[in-house]
Amino acid sequence: MTMLGSYLTLAAVLFCLGLYGVLTKRNAIIVLLSIELMLNAVNLNLVAFAKYGINASLRGQVFSLFTMTVAAAEAAVGIAVLISLYRRRATVNVDEYDELRR
Amino acid sequence: MLNFNVDFTGEFFAFFLLAACAIVGAVLAINFTKVVHMALSLAFTFVSLAGLYVLLQAEFVAFVQVLLYVGAVTILMIFGIMMTKHQSEGREPGRPLLETLAAIGCLCLFGILFYAIRNASFPKPQAELPEDNTMAIGKLLYSAYAIPFELVSVLLTVAFIGAVALAKREKEEEEEPK
Amino acid sequence: MDITFAQYAWFAPLFPLAAFAILTAMGRGLGRAGAWVATAASLLSFLLSLLIAIERLGGTAEDYTGRIEWLRAGSIMLHAGYEVTNLTSLMLVIVTFVALLVNLYSIGYMKDDERISVFFGYVALFTASMLGLVLADNLLTLYICWELVGVCSFLLIGFWFRKPEARAAAKKAFIVTRIGDLGLLLAILLLYWNMPNHALDFTSLYNVFHSQSDTLSASLTTLIALLIFLGAVGKSGQFPLHVWLPDAMEGPTPISALIHAATMVAAGVYLVVRTFDIFEASQAALAAVAIVGAFTAIFAAVIGLAQNDIKRVLAYSTVSQLGYMMLALGAGSTAAATFHLFTHAFFKALLFLAAGSVIHAIHTQDIREMGGLGRRMKITAWTFGIGALALSGIPPFSGFWSKDAVLAAALDESPWLFAVGVVAAFFTALYMARLFFLVFFGAPRGDAKAYAHAKKSPAVMTVPLVILAVLALLAGFVETPWNEWLGSWLSGEEEEGGINGLVVIASVGASLLGLYLGWLFYGRRSSSGNPAAEKASGLRRILERKFYVDELYELAFVRPLAALGRGLDAFDRVVVDGAVRLAGRSVQAAGKLNTRLLNGQIQAYALCALLGAVLLILAIAGRRFW
Repeated sequence: MTMLGSYLTLAAVLFCLGLYGVLTKRNAIIVLLSIELMLNAVNLNLVAFAKYGINASLRGQVFSLFTMTVAAAEAAVGIAVLISLYRRRATVNVDEYDELRR
Repeated sequence: MLNFNVDFTGEFFAFFLLAACAIVGAVLAINFTKVVHMALSLAFTFVSLAGLYVLLQAEFVAFVQVLLYVGAVTILMIFGIMMTKHQSEGREPGRPLLETLAAIGCLCLFGILFYAIRNASFPKPQAELPEDNTMAIGKLLYSAYAIPFELVSVLLTVAFIGAVALAKREKEEEEEPK
Repeated sequence: MDITFAQYAWFAPLFPLAAFAILTAMGRGLGRAGAWVATAASLLSFLLSLLIAIERLGGTAEDYTGRIEWLRAGSIMLHAGYEVTNLTSLMLVIVTFVALLVNLYSIGYMKDDERISVFFGYVALFTASMLGLVLADNLLTLYICWELVGVCSFLLIGFWFRKPEARAAAKKAFIVTRIGDLGLLLAILLLYWNMPNHALDFTSLYNVFHSQSDTLSASLTTLIALLIFLGAVGKSGQFPLHVWLPDAMEGPTPISALIHAATMVAAGVYLVVRTFDIFEASQAALAAVAIVGAFTAIFAAVIGLAQNDIKRVLAYSTVSQLGYMMLALGAGSTAAATFHLFTHAFFKALLFLAAGSVIHAIHTQDIREMGGLGRRMKITAWTFGIGALALSGIPPFSGFWSKDAVLAAALDESPWLFAVGVVAAFFTALYMARLFFLVFFGAPRGDAKAYAHAKKSPAVMTVPLVILAVLALLAGFVETPWNEWLGSWLSGEEEEGGINGLVVIASVGASLLGLYLGWLFYGRRSSSGNPAAEKASGLRRILERKFYVDELYELAFVRPLAALGRGLDAFDRVVVDGAVRLAGRSVQAAGKLNTRLLNGQIQAYALCALLGAVLLILAIAGRRFW
């Protein structure tokens, strides 16, 4: 296994852990953080390919920068939505947000 | 199948260490019961990832990672934690069905990914990365990726205005609860 | 002569069908007006039938056939069509005429029934399907109408469905006749597979079975003929499937008249007449028809002796007379059978309608509670008497001529059949005399109050009686031994006539003897008001129980079948229903799991998405490996 394979495997592990967190954690803030973790795993892939991919270049790194920017925006909006929700429902537990059923 | 026939170079040891840190941080984040602990252990993972970026010759990305994730996002989350009340995780009854199914799903997904990675053949890279990649990235951003760069800046502005608008305490809403 | 009316023959069943549609569509709101709609429709049919018949009386009109391609599936083609021959025109007139009179009579008889429009709708459908059966030019169309007749009889016998006896009788009629229907269906299927070009129309049948070519083997022909005869046995109430007919008396009396005179039971005889070409090709089948007919004639007549229900006596007499018709057919004389069918339609309708008039007046059907009604209901008594004399075969009433023709045909075939016929004639006269004297003579034995209230029936009921009485008197003259007009008209050939002295003397003698004995036993004695003189001997009990045929069937068929049915029911409930319930429960369980998963929480949805994605990847990527 090459270094690239190791990086990709690590990214897969982190992605799956993040996914598990998203699916099972009750606290909405942790869910948001888990999403950040998943995004990071993807970033790791991009950067790893930027070095070890067949066409090594900086484009992967540039793309990961964009991803980070979007992730930052997503975190900001997510927290804002969460606080707004908290004001109405007085809870941050995801399993008590069942508006989709109504 | 699992014979990691890699050269035991310094790079590999550094990778191994940082990867272990990242995974431990993530696992701890899932297993902790207090929200703040979770956030902090995830910050630890982000730092480890920044180290990995350095290993991958992406110093600028690593720098941004530390600034953005460890500095901004984690702090934002901690502010969010402070502004809301929390029962600690684990007090409430678990959701065994959901957790089991989620675990099965994640393991399956990982199995598929791992299988795909093991079976893929990665040819040797044909080019080397430039030495001063911060400067190279800056040039790329302002030449080839100028338009996406500007668009991202607009996106950020919109996101921050939106976040402010959402989180602002609305007077009318307070007066007539819905 | 031009064919003008025959080509419109298909309107004849259409009128009552339209009436049925109207009555069904308008529902009960129509009330008594519905009765007039149905009556008008049957009048139109009757007029059309009369026109067709008059047209054909010229004797030169060609048979008219009209048909359409009904459906085509691959190489299989089915036709629907109608055919007008002398026989069908005669049947048209009989059916529509009796239907018309029954309609008229029912206006009076059923006027207090709240479902009167439903009743008339059924009657209209009944008439329509019988007319369709008569007109059908092939066996398939005939079979459809045949089944429709069965359904209508079921509906009408069970018309008063609140009475459990009526329900049971309707079920019995339907199930018993179904046995026969199955035979007919099998016969049609056999014909379909073995006839050249899968032809089922009567013209092709005629050609095939008269050409002496070995298209169908002799044994196959016999089998087909016997299966068709089984159908006729079921519908025409021949032994051993006669059991439904007496029970069918639970229906309204006009319906009994309709079933017995024109529609249901006539269908069986008509079927045999129509497919007689097949029977002629098989001696064994003819013999079977003759023997079954003769046995039924005497068997039912003997049972009729001991029945106490006025309508049941008439019902057994119908069974017996149908036996005569089958006897004639078995002896090879369709003319005699049709002739007897023709006269029987009139006097049996007359008898039933007169009996209905009696029942209407005193609200009982038990002849032991009647008596002395002759003074109260003169018209009914007179017309009933004419009907009874016609049925007994006393000259010059119509029954004499037709029974004479049947017996003559039987004598040609075998003296034994003839002897059985004469004995049956004796019994016929005996039970009719018993019935007549018990009902109309002597002192009233039943409820005095009911007797005092017995009044003359309204004109709408008596007028049909008088018309039928006149016809019962005169209808026999269309075919006398010296002028066989009807027979030659039907067959299209000149037949030589001639009086067979032996036949006339024997049949008239037997009838007169029967009437005299009947008067001796019942006419004189009942005047002393002592019907209990009828001793309950062992033989009598057997007769009252109708030779225990019903009990035998109960033991031999009904109970084992019921047990089998219960077994199947249990199987159905445990295994089939179990499977259904299992399917239902598993779906329910899946649904419950789903509601637990899709509880509005975003994480559950995300989990579903993840599992779906994993399965999708596995399906797509894994396809490479198998």
